[in-house]
Amino acid sequence: MFRFINRRFALGWAGAGLAVAIIAGLSAGATETGETAAEVKSTAATDVAAEIDRLLSGQLEKSGTSLADSTSDEDFLRRATLDLAGTLPSPAEITLFSLNPDSNKRAKLVDQLLSEGDFAQNWSRYWRDVIFSRATDMRARLAQPAFEQWMTRQLQQNRKWDEIVTELITATGDVREVGQTALVFSHGGMASELASETSRIFMGIQIQCANCHDHPSDIWVRDDFHQLAAYFPRIRARRIQEENRRSFEIVSFNVPDGGRRRQAFNPTFLMRRFDKDRDGKVTKDEVKDSPLARAFDNLLRRGDSNNDKALTLAELRKLPPPNNAQRQSSEYYMPDLADPSSRGKRIDPVFFVSKTGSKSGLRDQDRRAELAEVLTAKDNPWFAKALVNRIWGELLGEGFYMPIDDIGPEREASFPEVLNLLSNGFTANDYDLQWLFRTIVNTQAYQRQIRARDASDISLPFASAAPTRLRSDQLYSALTGVLGLTDTANRGPQRGGAGMYRRPQSGRGQFAALFGFDPSTPQADITGSVPQALFLMNSPLINNGVRGQGNTRLGRILEKFNDNDDALSELYLLVLSREPSTRETKIAKEYLDEVGNRREAFEDLMWSLLNSSEFLSKR
Amino acid sequence: MSDFHHQNVGVRRQGFSRRSFLHTVSAAAVAAGTLSFRDLMSLQAAELKKQGRSLIVLWMQGAPSQFETFDPKPGTENGGPTKAIETATAGIRIANGWEQTAKVMNDIALVRSMTNREGNHQRATYQMHTGYVPSGSVKHPSLGSNIAKQLTDPDYELPSVVSVGPTVGSGFLGVDYDPFVVGNPGQLPANVASAVPQKRYGRRLGLLGRLEDEFASRGGKVVVDNHRRLYGKASNMVRSEKVKAFDISEEPQELRTRYGDSNFGRGCLLARRLVEAGTTYVEVRMGNWDTHQDNFERVSTLAGQVDPAMATLISDLKERGQLERTLVVWMGEFGRTPRINPRTGRDHYPRVFNLAMAGGGVKGGQVIGASTDNGTAIKDNPVTVPDLFCSICKSLKVDPRIENISPLGRPMKIVDGGKVVDTLFG
Repeated sequence: MFRFINRRFALGWAGAGLAVAIIAGLSAGATETGETAAEVKSTAATDVAAEIDRLLSGQLEKSGTSLADSTSDEDFLRRATLDLAGTLPSPAEITLFSLNPDSNKRAKLVDQLLSEGDFAQNWSRYWRDVIFSRATDMRARLAQPAFEQWMTRQLQQNRKWDEIVTELITATGDVREVGQTALVFSHGGMASELASETSRIFMGIQIQCANCHDHPSDIWVRDDFHQLAAYFPRIRARRIQEENRRSFEIVSFNVPDGGRRRQAFNPTFLMRRFDKDRDGKVTKDEVKDSPLARAFDNLLRRGDSNNDKALTLAELRKLPPPNNAQRQSSEYYMPDLADPSSRGKRIDPVFFVSKTGSKSGLRDQDRRAELAEVLTAKDNPWFAKALVNRIWGELLGEGFYMPIDDIGPEREASFPEVLNLLSNGFTANDYDLQWLFRTIVNTQAYQRQIRARDASDISLPFASAAPTRLRSDQLYSALTGVLGLTDTANRGPQRGGAGMYRRPQSGRGQFAALFGFDPSTPQADITGSVPQALFLMNSPLINNGVRGQGNTRLGRILEKFNDNDDALSELYLLVLSREPSTRETKIAKEYLDEVGNRREAFEDLMWSLLNSSEFLSKR
Repeated sequence: MSDFHHQNVGVRRQGFSRRSFLHTVSAAAVAAGTLSFRDLMSLQAAELKKQGRSLIVLWMQGAPSQFETFDPKPGTENGGPTKAIETATAGIRIANGWEQTAKVMNDIALVRSMTNREGNHQRATYQMHTGYVPSGSVKHPSLGSNIAKQLTDPDYELPSVVSVGPTVGSGFLGVDYDPFVVGNPGQLPANVASAVPQKRYGRRLGLLGRLEDEFASRGGKVVVDNHRRLYGKASNMVRSEKVKAFDISEEPQELRTRYGDSNFGRGCLLARRLVEAGTTYVEVRMGNWDTHQDNFERVSTLAGQVDPAMATLISDLKERGQLERTLVVWMGEFGRTPRINPRTGRDHYPRVFNLAMAGGGVKGGQVIGASTDNGTAIKDNPVTVPDLFCSICKSLKVDPRIENISPLGRPMKIVDGGKVVDTLFG
């Protein structure tokens, strides 16, 4: 540490005077938060965090598991900054944080990170991946930017989780403008998919297993699934086709069951109603204030055989019938497994947790609003537990229940009383998301060191931290930060193998095509891919970025620090957010001697650090 | 022996998540002193490798019209202006524009009675790749990934699944069987060539390996081990002589001309080279088949590229003695409407469509099933997607009932339901 401070003084830019001034400022600003928290008493973040640690350490010690030590300041700063802000701390921040003598500096850092815009952006991207990774309608990509913006705003304003979920379930509107349509549009408004995903994401219950048969390992039966799906039969994703813009609109379809079909495809009726000047042709002008206006261009495209921008009765009759007659139904029908081509049995909506039901014939908006209400109600324990389990799992690398989105009455959780404590606190705080983050990040459980756990180790979780792989957005931010590139740089991998219809434009989007994964996937199943390794090893982005000459990061370090030890420390701080160990310094020096060319050796060192598993992981 | 053994291992491998598998094996293997996971894998690979079977899918994205490909109806209202031409097999006639393919008809079996319900491009594409309809809760592996998992030697240096153009992925089977996507067939893909000379690249890898020890000792051992395995695989590919398979420039100009100077033609030649090198599944994609307008003109342009490439692929494989071990399937996601719409196009029609198969033990010069005279229905021998998948599995000698365990612990067969179309095989 002594050498470290000495070196810092020599740098000039982070002199002790500056550091002390900033530290003093931080301490002064932070006393208020402590006082307000104390008023809430037993469900205050710090109290609940302490209680969690008491429960956890008690049980872990009883089982003979030793607890890992608290992690270093450097590691905590990197971990919390990645988790909350989605980026790496800068070398300057690392120095200041390490030098800060305030014993409460970790809690203060958490408050500061939660209050900044990066937090909202980072978690908005997380939820984007949660929702869109399982999209069954690939056109859903269109809606990603709008969702990201909308979700960022909600998190910035610290909207409560039940309010956010209600909006996601009840949304209507243009998918490129109304971001909360993301979930509905991801499944093209299909009732059965919406039932599965609503249940999985917001309650952690994989009810879709009961789609075709009673759930094999849970208490749910087939009716429960289909009664949930019956909240969604009146949603349609309708194409919007304007001159320079294509989009879709989520709309309610509130006509009596089966009613629309006769009307929409009755050419004689259409002529009678719309051919106002009785010239035997329907024109765009004649339909302009009717429900047909929006679809008219599409009808023209398909049916106007003489290209006169009008449709005659003969042309209308030639139009092909709709692709899927099922979509005309405004009630939900459970398929008959014995006779799959029949219409099935009509089902009315009932929420399987509370068994509260609804009258049939309800309008779409009322139906979905009713579901949102019973789903987010405080007496539905799964609503809070699912979110708590998910966020805990993302922050600590392992949930109480694994996989994180498969909980439920027949599943076994590790430390269920800790999960209950946290869920009750979350509910008592009216589903305040920042409260949840603040509580978890302030626990000792979160702040433990990682510890070697080999694959055969089946000991209890949470005695030490588990390294987890950075999500694509975190890694992209880290990489552009380290290489000194701007985020919007339209560079990146050529083309990833991450699925069809995905042609992202921005550098970040292209990067996600290669490095993205579904955040609901257990950590053990996320191991990287060959194209990812090829990109990190051989791409021009990385290889130009590690050049030791000119105005690159490494170029400047090598120019500024003639001493190899100093340059090495600087490089480690930049890439791995820590100082090199004695062993690493030795390896690096041997390598410098072996290569005999300082610039080339340092380029190889930086290349190795960027390709290391540590760089790709949260530690 | 080989079939039994391979199933046994297959089931064991898939019965657990990777992590719980490692738990189980390390405990069991230590206790019993039996074979390690790796040993079992090599044993299985050795057995199956001898067979060296592969699958090449020529994927017609957008859904090709059956009337303008292999089920023409000349002289009928629905048939349109398309003519039928004679082929090398007496009695089998196909649409004009497919003259090269007609010459190799003795090696091709046509299926004219494919039938399905999905008429949406994305959903049907997913189904025709995985055998399952899409579901938000589980990402099904594509058939190519499933087959690669069963057949590929774990020490093979190139990717076991390659696609020219983005395709459906490996789902829950994970990265080992994820398709390696090639954008510009015929040349080395992006980032495969080392950015620095081989010697320096090797030196860098050595340094990386040494530096990784620090994180391993600080608690990241599992992560480091996985990373080493992955980098081993990726760097093997970078340094492998076999990457030359991606570069078609060493093929004779005459042969390249026969395949055609098109992306699709180069893709087909690449497919042959990769299969020769040991890749299990190659998909070559051709887009633009969604002919709602100007169907006849557009199909003629598309056939101009697909016909020579497909025909040359089949004859090239045959000349090299590889056709018996390589199944080639030409298909798209569904068929097109019998009725020609006012824009001289055809719309989506999953009820009747066709496909072509060659090699892999399939008996050529025959037609399976038939559509009715006006093309609106199946006349006999309907073939469903699961039937097709079972038949592909049979050709590759993979048991379609092998179960993978989904991340939620649900067993899922490679193919659910369906039965082999026996007449496909001689």
